[in-house]
Amino acid sequence: MAKYDVVVVGSGNAGMSAALYCILAGKKTLLIEKHNLPGGAASSFVRGRFEIEPSLHELCDYGPADNPGDIRQMLDTYGVKLDWVECKDCFRAVSKYHDGTVMDVTMPAGVEAFIDSMEKYVPGSRPKMTELFTLLDEIIEGISYTSKSKGNADPKVLQTKYANMLRTGAYSTNKVLRTLGIPQKCQDILQTYWSYIGIDLERLAFIHYAAMVHKYISRGAYIPKHTSHQLSTAMIERFRELGGEIWFNCRADEFLFDGKKLCGVKTNMGTIDCDYVLANINPDLIYGKMMPKELIPEREKKLSAARNRNMSSRMYTVYLCCDKSAEELGIKDYAIFLPETTDSVKAYNDMINCVNNDEHFIFLCYNVEITDFSPEGTCVCSFTTAVGPGDWNDLKQEDYFKFKNEMAKKMLKNLKAKTGIDLEGHIEEFEVATPWTFSRYLGVPEGAVYGYEVADWDGMMARMMSLDKDYPIHGLRPIGAAGPRGDGYNSAMLCGQLIASLAVRDLDSWKEGGLS
Amino acid sequence: MSKLNIKIGLFGKLDMLKFKNMPKVREKVIQSTPAKEISGEFKINTNAALLHPDKLNLLIEDIVDRGKANAKTFVLKSTDGKSLPYFRAGQYISLKLPIDESFVTRSYSLCSSPRDALNGKYAITVRANPGGFVADRLLCEKNIGDSLQASGPHGQFYYEDLRDARTVIGLAGGSGITPFLSMAYAIRDGIEDFNLTLLFGSRDEENILFKNELSEIAAQCSKFKVVHVLSEADTEGYEHGFITAELIKKYAPAEGEYSVYLCGPEAMYKFIKPEIEKLGLPERLYRRKMIDVTSTPWELDGYPMECKDKVFNLTVKQCADEYKITANANEPVLVALERAGIKAPSRCRSGECGWCRSRLISGTVFIPKENELRRWADVHYGYIHPCSSFATSDLVIEVPGEYLD
Repeated sequence: MAKYDVVVVGSGNAGMSAALYCILAGKKTLLIEKHNLPGGAASSFVRGRFEIEPSLHELCDYGPADNPGDIRQMLDTYGVKLDWVECKDCFRAVSKYHDGTVMDVTMPAGVEAFIDSMEKYVPGSRPKMTELFTLLDEIIEGISYTSKSKGNADPKVLQTKYANMLRTGAYSTNKVLRTLGIPQKCQDILQTYWSYIGIDLERLAFIHYAAMVHKYISRGAYIPKHTSHQLSTAMIERFRELGGEIWFNCRADEFLFDGKKLCGVKTNMGTIDCDYVLANINPDLIYGKMMPKELIPEREKKLSAARNRNMSSRMYTVYLCCDKSAEELGIKDYAIFLPETTDSVKAYNDMINCVNNDEHFIFLCYNVEITDFSPEGTCVCSFTTAVGPGDWNDLKQEDYFKFKNEMAKKMLKNLKAKTGIDLEGHIEEFEVATPWTFSRYLGVPEGAVYGYEVADWDGMMARMMSLDKDYPIHGLRPIGAAGPRGDGYNSAMLCGQLIASLAVRDLDSWKEGGLS
Repeated sequence: MSKLNIKIGLFGKLDMLKFKNMPKVREKVIQSTPAKEISGEFKINTNAALLHPDKLNLLIEDIVDRGKANAKTFVLKSTDGKSLPYFRAGQYISLKLPIDESFVTRSYSLCSSPRDALNGKYAITVRANPGGFVADRLLCEKNIGDSLQASGPHGQFYYEDLRDARTVIGLAGGSGITPFLSMAYAIRDGIEDFNLTLLFGSRDEENILFKNELSEIAAQCSKFKVVHVLSEADTEGYEHGFITAELIKKYAPAEGEYSVYLCGPEAMYKFIKPEIEKLGLPERLYRRKMIDVTSTPWELDGYPMECKDKVFNLTVKQCADEYKITANANEPVLVALERAGIKAPSRCRSGECGWCRSRLISGTVFIPKENELRRWADVHYGYIHPCSSFATSDLVIEVPGEYLD
């Protein structure tokens, strides 16, 4: 079998991105994927006359051609092309304000429109909201600068150009919002997006929250016209065009070492020789199952112990294909956030402790943005919530099907009570994905697609600033949601790109040093 | 807009230091935590792997001869004696069988109660299929104690109360009874909760599969009824002829919605299509078990007749390997792979599950409309399901790897 410079293990969002980076850098690259499809979460499945999007709600950081986000720029660099659809609104949120009054707000994309809307719902909020967005602008630029410097940011540049980022970045989101004097009702509305990172806003660093919220609001959200399987297939197609190879149904079972240097991967389709592996796999699985114990550095054991398996969101999603159009069903919004409370701390704790999981969820209808997403006179909807491990750890197989469906039924009732939308009697295809499902298809620990909590000491910025310490194995770097950028499609793709660039740098320096 | 000068703590400089110190703080937390051996085991993952294994190694524990119904029931257990994956009544397993130089799959609906899976038992029933490649070999050659490799349970032919009506009229023909038998057991065992009225077409009384089992369940459980419809015999106590719209209406509830489920041979699907249309059911209330792709593609609209009986050259890439083989145009591409002994994945053989999804690098194929269940991007970028694609030119394809011992 041929020898490869790089084997990318796992074609999730991070893996595909890393593979494209490596092949463009001229490395002989093989991408192996244990499933028979690319994409990991970026996929689709067919039921009857419907094709269903399994995971993507809104891709953050793509942006329009005249205000491209990091993802658009990255995909342009890779030469990946596909049809995108821009989501008109950011979100509608139906919940309760902190004072118990009813919240029902629809927030548009675009900074000015967003601030205008906020002023409508919370009169007098304009100056503070404007100040907030000025700060967010600076932070976005600062992160972009830090990211491009690959861990070698110039402190002087940071201190002069991005002083406000430095002064706010280490604090929690809520602390900064409070200090800025953002009106409480605005804060309630701004809490909405916390679930897209999967950590409450008392523990999420402001810098991380700022990056995500600003990108969604200023650049809008995008979705591929034909599900995220179109995105992953387009990425794989481009990778092949550039000379990359991808093997499906090929599972890495063990990483092989020559001394302390990685030298290959053992798979169900044979042993593959290579100099480098970028593994789209959670480090606990790599160290726990896929390499010799004696090669695991002490610090990695400490890091794993410190993280203590504190995974962020484990996903639970209900897919509903209806035999009536969105219009006929009275669905006007693409995404409705329906949290029982706008207090993200309470919501997160409920979620992780499996309390009232059916009371906090996001309702989505793809046909609102893409009229012909499904056959005429039909629509595809979903409920998504995050759950903790409790309910799912000790669930018996014989109780599993009923348990997962009961939760879906409660959500249907809650949707009707909160929005008047009644889907019962119109469901033609129905499927539920649980932490079991995500663990089965993606291999992630506990079905936690978001990796470790990006909270407190282990936040995004702290990880980004520790790149030199976090990858101690010669020729092996994990990528994905457990990596420095945290979770989400955009973060995983950027993580793949960033870590692949470090791998290419390593390979080139070994070559120069004659160490290869 | 005036330049922002935000500070969170008392002194802006300290805020900056706090930022700068983030990696130090992180490292301190890491270093102060005692090292622990890292375990890659997670309960949820273990559960999911037990419910959805890559493959199952089974032993034939018992074989029940179905006499004149020309079939045998194979009672299967796990080789390690442990429980088998639980399933939804109506699902199938796909056997992976080495036969001569070939390596073939065949899917069989589980005909036992899901409850039995917890005791480590599945049952499938195989009916004789003279001239076929697999069924007769299974019936003649497999004995108690032999081992079989299979997939876990799969398929979408099962009851879902959020989707289906409370009453289901099941239409079964021949060995298409098997998923319904499992559903009947599941209702009896309190696992499923719906009314199932089964219209079961057989040639004559002697030919009825599971006649006693069905009667017994109906006697024990008021939610399950069976009506035998004999095509070749006018026997007292049985309906005579074929299953028609009229017959369905006769046994359907007088008021309220009902769902219709169908599982039977290809000929039955053809016959029943216009009958179902007469009922005017919304699509959501009509579900069919997908059946193997047609063996006579040239009878379908759009088939390029000049390709019939031709033999095409196939180049097959699989991971690091490449094979040159031939494909008979009259058979699905998957059969050509199997005949050549290539171990490529497949499961449902109907286009539904997509497990055989392969890349069509060059060439053209014919895909029957009934079996066209590919994703949009797969159609767009040239991926096919070899189980339901017929070569209409020389082909170059790339197939996925396979999980085998």
